[in-house]
Amino acid sequence: MNESNRFIEEFCHEAEELLSGVEDAVLDIEENPGDQEAVNRLFRAMHTIKGSGSMFGFDAIAEFSHHVETAMDKVRNGTVPVTKTLIDLILVSRDRITAMLAEANGDGPPADPREGEKIIASLKALLSSHGAAAPDENPPKETPEQASEPAKPVQQNQAVYRIRFSPDPDIFFTGMDPVILLYDLADMGECSVVAQTEKVPDLENLSPESCYLFWDIILTTAKRINAVKDVFVFVEDKCKIDIKTVEEEVITSEQMPGPRLGDILVERGDIDRKTLDKQFGTRKKIGERLVESGALSKEKIKSALNEQTVVSKMHKSAAASTVRVPSDRLDKLINLVGELVINQARLTQVASNREDTDLGESVEEIERLTGELRDSVLNIRMMPIGTTFNKFRRLVRDLSSQLNKEIELVTHGAETELDKTVLERLDDPLIHLIRNSLDHGVEPPGLRELKGKPAKGTIILSARHKGTNVVITIQDDGAGLNVDTIRQKAVEKGLIPENAELSDKKIFAQIFAPGFSTAKEVTSISGRGVGMDVVKRTIESLRGRIDIDSVPGEGTKITLILPLTLAIINGLLVSIDDDFFVLPLMSVEECVEIKSKEIEMINGRNILNVRGDMVPYIRLRDRFHMGNRRPEKEHIVITDVNDSRIGFVVDHVIGGHQTVIKPLGPAFKNIKDISGATILGDGTVALILDTNVLLESA
Amino acid sequence: MAKVIMTADDSTSIRQMVSFTLNQAGYDVIEAEDGLDAADKLAGIHVDMLLTDLNMPNKNGLELIEWVRSMPRFKFMPIIMLTTEAETEMKQKGKAAGATGWIVKPFKPEQLLALVKRILR
Amino acid sequence: MSVQGIIRTSQYLTFKLDNEIYAMDITTVREVLDIIPITKVPQMPDFMCGVINLRGGVVPVVDLRLKFGLKKATSLKETCIVIIEVILDDEQTILGILVDSVLEVISLDPEQIDPPPRIGTRLKTEFIRGMGKKDTEFIIILETTKVFSAQELAIVQAADDMPVPETSEGANAEEEKNE
Repeated sequence: MNESNRFIEEFCHEAEELLSGVEDAVLDIEENPGDQEAVNRLFRAMHTIKGSGSMFGFDAIAEFSHHVETAMDKVRNGTVPVTKTLIDLILVSRDRITAMLAEANGDGPPADPREGEKIIASLKALLSSHGAAAPDENPPKETPEQASEPAKPVQQNQAVYRIRFSPDPDIFFTGMDPVILLYDLADMGECSVVAQTEKVPDLENLSPESCYLFWDIILTTAKRINAVKDVFVFVEDKCKIDIKTVEEEVITSEQMPGPRLGDILVERGDIDRKTLDKQFGTRKKIGERLVESGALSKEKIKSALNEQTVVSKMHKSAAASTVRVPSDRLDKLINLVGELVINQARLTQVASNREDTDLGESVEEIERLTGELRDSVLNIRMMPIGTTFNKFRRLVRDLSSQLNKEIELVTHGAETELDKTVLERLDDPLIHLIRNSLDHGVEPPGLRELKGKPAKGTIILSARHKGTNVVITIQDDGAGLNVDTIRQKAVEKGLIPENAELSDKKIFAQIFAPGFSTAKEVTSISGRGVGMDVVKRTIESLRGRIDIDSVPGEGTKITLILPLTLAIINGLLVSIDDDFFVLPLMSVEECVEIKSKEIEMINGRNILNVRGDMVPYIRLRDRFHMGNRRPEKEHIVITDVNDSRIGFVVDHVIGGHQTVIKPLGPAFKNIKDISGATILGDGTVALILDTNVLLESA
Repeated sequence: MAKVIMTADDSTSIRQMVSFTLNQAGYDVIEAEDGLDAADKLAGIHVDMLLTDLNMPNKNGLELIEWVRSMPRFKFMPIIMLTTEAETEMKQKGKAAGATGWIVKPFKPEQLLALVKRILR
Repeated sequence: MSVQGIIRTSQYLTFKLDNEIYAMDITTVREVLDIIPITKVPQMPDFMCGVINLRGGVVPVVDLRLKFGLKKATSLKETCIVIIEVILDDEQTILGILVDSVLEVISLDPEQIDPPPRIGTRLKTEFIRGMGKKDTEFIIILETTKVFSAQELAIVQAADDMPVPETSEGANAEEEKNE
């Protein structure tokens, strides 16, 4: 608030300078009517006053100077000559703006609006007498796509859009990365993207600075088609963008079969009906036949298949019928599929060692089927988070009236699905976080009004998919966290040294420390002994992470990042000697190769200089007492856990690994650094490291 | 490492507002008061993104964009124009000169930030 | 002389450890495997020598020699992993036991089993259900529920990181610590 005051002051100061410049320029023009440079100066002065004025809320000034600017533009391009009338008008306008500024600053009498209207009328008359069009009464207000406010909490129907985005080959030269646009789409809802590669030329004809790819996107979102179009607003004139609504969610009374793949392809214009019909009659799937006959590329089919899946799913959800199954049967099934995945990986490895095409092909098919089976089995356990969200509505209503606050709970992404087990264990942490926002975050209505905020506070609860993770955010527009208070408290509790130089984020992270609570008084709503540390532990036990962001006066945002399922995680496989370990890929930032000697040289403390950043590290070989047969070159996997970077030194980094998690069982219940095990393709057991625990002991 | 953004605008107040907003969000900001100043400063430093006004003395925004794009090391850099709604024609010219996109004045700091975050993601 | 609680003829799996013959109630044994690679799990006492992949499941393996304070085996030629089922923390758990060699399955009548001697063995007495006798040889029949209890297994390696040998002395020290 003080900041914007500073800008307003700065603007007034700037405007005064510009206006005195106007006087000089006018005198110059009077002396020498051909002084183009002075005309330009005048134009720019008006332009800046208009632009900056509108930025800082001086709408009347902006509006008025718009008319003067238009006049000056006409003078600049020669439509309107410099006359005594014009010069008089400019000088009057200048005085007028000065008066308006003084009024706005509270050190002048209110400027008479009629006087302003008179000047504008005279300006218009002058322009039209020279055949120049008068400025628009109300310049059409463009709505920049950035201005689109976060979606209203209205429950909107979902729609499925089919988008083909063919960027201009030269798109990179506009500084635009097409991937940004794909991310934007992915942020809007459930999105599946298939890159079409058919336009990529041979290597010798390929220019690395051109974009040959185009993308087929199936987007399921509650947003309107205009919002989807807005994503492309910067590139729409040069790139080919085709957006079609495939399906709007309507509750169909009867179960309707999804569209057929062939129909989708014809509708997209990828293939004509005749070619398609030719393919019928054999027994294979239509998609496979089309690829085999060379009529269509694999990618085209894949993209159409995506659409089919999404649309069919919608139909199904419209006519959902359910079967109740005891969850232990599901667990059994998931275990079996886990074993199948492991054995399939092994089979693939064995097959790749034999050069047998027949074997290779069928193994490949099994690989695909296993993957599909795994996905659909994991899918069975997936539940939309909406039911959990709904529980909180009541909570927020009851608690806010108890606290005499007005708070609205807005939810986004209620349809986001995640594993039932994860969902069940999320209840308590979410309740705690929402209570915190209600109690400590959002201020009482009176105080909010004093601060210039709407009396009614808002808590936004949202969920969305991001890769194989689910991101849940709890955001309030309350007072925000007080860095100084937290810092002081953390120092008092001995959590951080008094003179520690910590980023705000690190200080915020202190609220997750056990026993930390900044509430001045313990109320019945929060602060009943279950602290943020419990929240953090729960999230970590779900292999997730928690982030906190806060702007004083504007609110706090807590972000939970959770894996879609507990059964399988994306891991990074590393090795030390002959042993294998898996690090959760979610926290991995980068891998750096390093010579053992180099580490030794920097060593005094276990800190490594990574491009100027000091990163503490743990040599797992030492921590796990694995002897001293270190290779010449070791690797450091740098992870970001709770906003602290830490490196793990290993012998080799092998690569990404779809990790089926196996519990270690009660025999290892006291082990700290290891959170589970997994079985690799060749049958070897690899241990999964618990980076959160390792970090704490660093 | 923090990304570096240059704001070129002849209005001090706008420059300050842009700087302050982006600084708060953790970006490093370099201010330039017109096109010529921007070109001078760009010669010696690394910049990840350019936000430029169109109407500026000495070298206007269009000339600045064309000049920047002609430099090999900036050929893929995102450039965002700060325009007013009346400047549709200028906007087209800016795009032709190689601008990535635009933001329309008046804008709120959070709108600017959303755009910057989106483009620099 | 018989042992209280052993009232009927049972079958036992016998195996060798150092130069002595041990036996386990056959009902706890699931199968016997030849030696396979074992993945070491850090921060565990030495006798918890790691985990193996048993048809897709991860199974911990106990080196019985180390558990009983013997030296590590010098030859693995006949080494076997006996897979047994025990209850740990109220949870049925599969465990692998590393032994020098597996001998046979024998039947012992209650009268063939004597109570454990009070002195003269290197093991805690509670680990022994009784002493069987076959021909001229003594067979130490293990009380699996005691040897492989959660308390015995779930000991995290001490900070000084020295393996805790399970000699009778060491065992006593351990007991004192527990109190």
